[in-house]
Amino acid sequence: MRRLVLATLLIGVAAGAMAAKHDLDYERLRANLDTLAADPMLGRLAPAERALAEQAVQALAEGGSRGEHAHRLYMAERRVDIAYAAAQAAEQERRLAELDREHDRILLEASQRELQRARMDAERTRMESELRAEESERLRLQGEQSAQEAEAARAEAAQTQRLLDAQAKSAELARKEAQLAEAAAGDLRKRLSNLRATRGARGMQMTLDDIAFAPGQAGLRPEAKASLGQLVAFVNRDPAKPIRIEGHTDSRGKPEANHVLSQRRADAVRAALVAAGVAANRITSVGLGEDEPVAGNDTEEGRARNRRVDVILEDQPR
Amino acid sequence: MLVLTACAPTKPPNIGLDEATRMLAAARDAGAPTYAPMELRNAEDRLSQARARAAKHDFDEAASLVQEAQVDSELAMVKSRLGKAREKVDTRVHENADLRQQSDSGANPADAQGGQP
Repeated sequence: MRRLVLATLLIGVAAGAMAAKHDLDYERLRANLDTLAADPMLGRLAPAERALAEQAVQALAEGGSRGEHAHRLYMAERRVDIAYAAAQAAEQERRLAELDREHDRILLEASQRELQRARMDAERTRMESELRAEESERLRLQGEQSAQEAEAARAEAAQTQRLLDAQAKSAELARKEAQLAEAAAGDLRKRLSNLRATRGARGMQMTLDDIAFAPGQAGLRPEAKASLGQLVAFVNRDPAKPIRIEGHTDSRGKPEANHVLSQRRADAVRAALVAAGVAANRITSVGLGEDEPVAGNDTEEGRARNRRVDVILEDQPR
Repeated sequence: MLVLTACAPTKPPNIGLDEATRMLAAARDAGAPTYAPMELRNAEDRLSQARARAAKHDFDEAASLVQEAQVDSELAMVKSRLGKAREKVDTRVHENADLRQQSDSGANPADAQGGQP
């Protein structure tokens, strides 16, 4: 009914103009689709959507009523848009997948670099700790060596100390010995310088006890020389009187040897007096040995008293 | 029962209104309000017109409008898909660039550092 009216109304130019406009719509959409299909990138994508668009555009060419054409045009335009959008979406999704792969690749490379770096770090750490171990071993050896050196030094110091101690001790001993010797000499000098004149049977006399002589020796000790002064002073008190020097021993040993020793000691005293300026012709010296003891020979004290040299200032000449 | 017997003779033919409604909802869910608002509005307009036509028993016109609403929804859907894909591409392009820069700048000082001690 509607179609009939339309057909009668649009006979002629109007109908031709309408058909031309329809052709333009078709050609426009046809060209759009061809462009899409020819696109090197989008042309291969979303083929299903493009096929639907092809159908819709084809339907447009088949003509129909005005209302139908408007509907078909609407549908065809949308289908072409969908074909484009679907192809573009597929392209974007393809890019996205590519970017995802790139993303993974970057991460992989980064983690490989990280791993490489970690390996290098670990290697460096290992080398450093090796160096540190070597260093500490070196220090330990050094320490050991210096400990040994210190021990040696300590031993040496101890040795030196012992040596010093020993030296000090021997010095001390020497000092004590010297002190003792000094004391003994002092004692000796004291005893030797402390002669006293006593009256004997033949006149005044002085007695040199045996410490004036070294044991078994005839010579006077150096210390006894001091006491000579007293002896000299004693004998010079009365220069006219003759001097008799008698040597005595204790009873130990052989009598002949004692005689010889006592004689030699008496001679030694005589020589000393002569040397001190006493006239030699005043002096006679005799060795009496053990014959005239003044004390018992059974004790050391008695024997010590018996070992003596008497210097007698004679009252009368013999 | 009464309604059913009363309406049975005038029950409308299946012109795809339900399917068009579902597609419209799907387009909305796909992000069409953001990525394809114009296409979504076209679909909504076409669908409401179709309902109006159907209510007036103009089922031919209603069927055409349903088809148009469906194709609008489909276009809205595919444009949403395209918009999202473009966004993701942009995001990933920047991410990759940043990542590469980080990775490169992270590698170089480390190399320099490796040579120092």
